[in-house]
Amino acid sequence: MLRVRGLTVGYGGEPVLDGIDLDLESGHFASLIGPSGSGKTSILRVVTNLLQPEHGAIELDVNTREIGFLFQDDALLPWRTVRQNVTLGLRIRGAASGDADTQAEHWLTRLGLEGFGDRYPGQLSGGQRKRVAIAQVLALRPKLLLMDEPFASLDAIVRTRITQELLDWVEREHLTVLLVTHDLEEAIGVSDEVHVLSHGPRATIRARHSIDIPRPRNVLQVRRHPDFGPLLQTLWDELADEPPEKGTAT
Amino acid sequence: MSADQTRAVRRALALLVLLAAWETLSRIGWLDPFYVPPPSRVGGVVFDLVATGDLWPHLGATALAAFAGLLVGLVLGIGLGFAAALSPLVADLLEPVMILLNAIPRVILAPLFVIWLGIGLASKLALATILVTVLIFFAVYNGIKEVDRRLVERIQTLGGGQTVLAREVYIPSVTAWVMGNFKVAVGFAFTGAVVGEFVASSRGLGYLLQFAQSTYNAALTIALILIIMTFVLVLFAVAERLERRLLAWRYL
Ligand SMILES: Nc1ncnc2c1ncn2[C@@H]1O[C@H](COP(=O)(O)OP(=O)(O)O)[C@@H](O)[C@H]1O
Ligand SMILES: [Mg+2]
Repeated sequence: MLRVRGLTVGYGGEPVLDGIDLDLESGHFASLIGPSGSGKTSILRVVTNLLQPEHGAIELDVNTREIGFLFQDDALLPWRTVRQNVTLGLRIRGAASGDADTQAEHWLTRLGLEGFGDRYPGQLSGGQRKRVAIAQVLALRPKLLLMDEPFASLDAIVRTRITQELLDWVEREHLTVLLVTHDLEEAIGVSDEVHVLSHGPRATIRARHSIDIPRPRNVLQVRRHPDFGPLLQTLWDELADEPPEKGTAT
Repeated sequence: MSADQTRAVRRALALLVLLAAWETLSRIGWLDPFYVPPPSRVGGVVFDLVATGDLWPHLGATALAAFAGLLVGLVLGIGLGFAAALSPLVADLLEPVMILLNAIPRVILAPLFVIWLGIGLASKLALATILVTVLIFFAVYNGIKEVDRRLVERIQTLGGGQTVLAREVYIPSVTAWVMGNFKVAVGFAFTGAVVGEFVASSRGLGYLLQFAQSTYNAALTIALILIIMTFVLVLFAVAERLERRLLAWRYL
């Protein structure tokens, strides 16, 4: 579905990312973890064409229109209602406005925002805005879903609910997902594979782990699986042994 | 009584006390009525101006120059602002001129406009226009330059092109900036029209004001100031309603 080859990304000075290789098979759920500032967002920005790499290539089996990108912050159009924000992508793709509204209502209900369609983003809490952003992306029924720390701003209960909701959806639709997160338990709980990015600058993928926990999964019960604890320890060690400042030259 | 009502009553009372004191001092001769005529006389002048209908042609002339200037200024400001934001060449050509015009008190151009365009409507229109244009130009230019990059990227990843960007991001963003400056623009247009008339003309509130001053008619001068203030306040109220309507998302 997605192949990243020898990706080197910089913002003028020393490269932030150096020679990233990453393969994502169709129907797989992958997580990308790494210290903050290591370049996780930059990878997603290259894949979505918002950023030009210095070297390397991105190969995609889908059209860029079939990629859904959930940004790290939840900037919605402040002058459009919740419903208009959710239908934005659908309208851009030429959906009839009645259809788009029905879709929007469906997604808002799924994400616990029934009846919020006529509000403006300024009238919502941070968590509610994030859910609108999720609805905006999922309403397009993407084949490849890229998410940049989507749940960081949600409180624990909402977070668990939304994660489960999203996981059910991904499993049912066999979506291909690349999730950037700094929550190790979340990464293990939802993914088929975890990629660990080293500390930047010149960050590389320093480890990959497959997670063979059967699906469908429940985000709470998955923690009791025998593989969960050891994996968490491994990931924790890999991130903790990173030097705080300089990159690891491997 | 609500807090708002209490405040309104207090303000009205303060105004009444001030007017009563002014009236009394003027009547007992502590204030020279030649320089500071009592409110009752000023009120009489206003009443006469309205009752005889003498006011309307002048008010009409000023309003015409101001509204026309506002309209042309908005169109020019928005057009030039967009052009400068979209084309670096236009920006390089326009920015120095606009910065210069912004730095000076633009009403000093009034005599020049009279020399160039005569004492009729054209010179007032030109002054009102230039006051509004410079203001709106910067509102639009900065509005586009400082548009939220994150919103632009959202639209791009959702598959939107230039048309969608304009409709969903640039136009609403510019509307917000322009409407944020709209009341000031209305005030500027009026200033331009009245000052233009004050400098040289044969009609308009500015002309009346100039006439009142040259004949040392303090009562008429104060009456005209009150009329202009009232008119501008009414326009501000209209502008405010328009702003609340167009920027409903901001007033929730
Ligand atoms: N627009 C930019 N200009 C310059 N440097 C940037 C820019 N965006 C990110 N960076 C730098 O690139 C590095 C990686 O950033 P990012 O990809 O956002 O990391 P992460 O998402 O892992 O926290 C950081 O050191 C950051 O300071
Ligand atoms: Mg990031």
